[in-house]
Amino acid sequence: MKRRDFIKRTALASAGVFAAPYILPSGRLFAASGLRRVNHVVFCLYAGGVRNLESVHMNDGNLMTNLFSGGGSISPDIAGAMESLPPSPLSAPLQTYGTLFKEFRYKQGPTGHYNGHTVAVTGRYVDTDLNIREHPRNPTIFEYYRKHNSPQQSSMNSWWVANSLGPYPALNYSSSSDYGPDYGANFIAPTSLISPQGFDVLGNPRNFASPEEAAISNIHAFVNGIFNHSYSDGSAGVINNSTDAALLQAFISDLYAKAQTSQFQNSWNAASVMNNDMYNMLFATEIIKTFKPELMVVNMQDVDVCHFNYTEYANNLRKADFAVAQLWNTIQSTPGMADDTVLIVAPEHGRNFFTNTSVDAYGRAALDHTAPNDPDFSGDPNLAMARDIFCLVVGPPSVVRQNQVINTLMGQSTEIVPAIANLLGFDDAIPAGYLRNWANCEIQAAFI
Amino acid sequence: MKKILFIILIGSAFFSCSEEKKYQYGLDPVDVTLGGGQKTNQKSTTEFISIAYSDLYGTIIPQTKLVNLSIAYSSFGDLKIIEQRIISNFLNDTTIHLPTVPAVNGDTMLFITNTYKKLYNREPNEFEKFKWQDLVRNNTAVTPTTIYFALMTSDEYRFY
Repeated sequence: MKRRDFIKRTALASAGVFAAPYILPSGRLFAASGLRRVNHVVFCLYAGGVRNLESVHMNDGNLMTNLFSGGGSISPDIAGAMESLPPSPLSAPLQTYGTLFKEFRYKQGPTGHYNGHTVAVTGRYVDTDLNIREHPRNPTIFEYYRKHNSPQQSSMNSWWVANSLGPYPALNYSSSSDYGPDYGANFIAPTSLISPQGFDVLGNPRNFASPEEAAISNIHAFVNGIFNHSYSDGSAGVINNSTDAALLQAFISDLYAKAQTSQFQNSWNAASVMNNDMYNMLFATEIIKTFKPELMVVNMQDVDVCHFNYTEYANNLRKADFAVAQLWNTIQSTPGMADDTVLIVAPEHGRNFFTNTSVDAYGRAALDHTAPNDPDFSGDPNLAMARDIFCLVVGPPSVVRQNQVINTLMGQSTEIVPAIANLLGFDDAIPAGYLRNWANCEIQAAFI
Repeated sequence: MKKILFIILIGSAFFSCSEEKKYQYGLDPVDVTLGGGQKTNQKSTTEFISIAYSDLYGTIIPQTKLVNLSIAYSSFGDLKIIEQRIISNFLNDTTIHLPTVPAVNGDTMLFITNTYKKLYNREPNEFEKFKWQDLVRNNTAVTPTTIYFALMTSDEYRFY
């Protein structure tokens, strides 16, 4: 072969390799713009306002033994109030399976729960003009995923599992004209849906036989076809196609059936101490087992009892810690997600250094979460404590640095969305200007 | 002679051809407006729930039921799924007022007209009547329950 022909053919072959989409060993096809590091990401918002003093700095002993190593026993004055929890399902604390950022920060904006949640799922800080009655203005991680992941996935692959209603249902998609409900996640508030109230109105549906389903489908095609408005244009939320909708109806029916059994309530051998957070996580594990979603965000907020009861806050920190361990245990026990999932755990914001006036039965003063907006914290660094959070990233050793603890100030809340986009391989496809540039994200230190 | 010829000519001009009768062919006036075309306002969640309850139970929704429905409604992101579930729960309740099967199979058009008046607040147009005749008579699975479910989960039922 002549030298010129050789160079020409080599160049063409190389161009072909780079132009073609990548086919991974798993058989999945991804756009050439980004390679996936894992096929699943679960982001757990350890929310409700968690102070670093009680979590990673263990001022009252290690209240989160499932997540963190070390630390002493729980302070004697509140130890008696801690409810008994079953042993950890994990063989070692979660931090050994990944990287712990002890000094992560929620740097800007009001330290409110909804603000913090909005920042967490949009990757953008928000100001005081956040409207709790509307969807966020900036696109959510769910929309980035569904719009830019290649191949595009249905909402069955992205879930927002919230522990409560109020404004939180609005976080499954934004009002951005470039994104919106067509790219949103399936939202569920399981402890509201699978409740006595929910069962009263949804628990006993008329089940239609196949010929009836076909007849209904025919009638729908006819009556909707001649009506000049559609209810599917955003006002009905995230619309699943008919096949997925049938699966979701069956899933809801299954949850109603399970929730009435003592076996389900005692799934973690903790029936007597289950709180809202734990049930929310238990339902999230059902979603994981049933649908194996590629992207899930789930939250907990029972620690917010700290506004008036510090000791119960400490108790709920332990329960949330136990629930995260169960979440990871389920992920690692679910074929398809085991060893192919990164779990990110972070509070939405911290709590104040200074106490409020409420004192609980154990003599502990309560804590709010109100950080000033000015950059010098009104002259008192302690006022900024509501911005201090941790971030724990765990996952396969080939992806996440194992047993690494970063004690220095590193990383911030707005880096989690870019990290998820990078892990799932679509960060390059997101137009510039929407998110922090991944190259500038300090959370990168967690990854190989 | 000339006079006679003139009269014959004039006479023939008047009487030799008579104007033919004009027949006009056409269709009787038929309502061909778009079904539900005037409905542009979407019902709110509360309106949808309350109206659906009243349509099936014939009474105002109790406050507790409304609260429970509102909670359920907000707890899932795909509102169509939840609405279908709400309606199918209503339809599984034996206390609702639903026409019987013979009502559909007997005077089908009367049933359809009454159902449209009740659920869509209008009468079906001629095209809809024709189509419904076809839908009902060729499918035994089209029962009052399936018709009510389909209409109450349709786009038009969500508007007024």
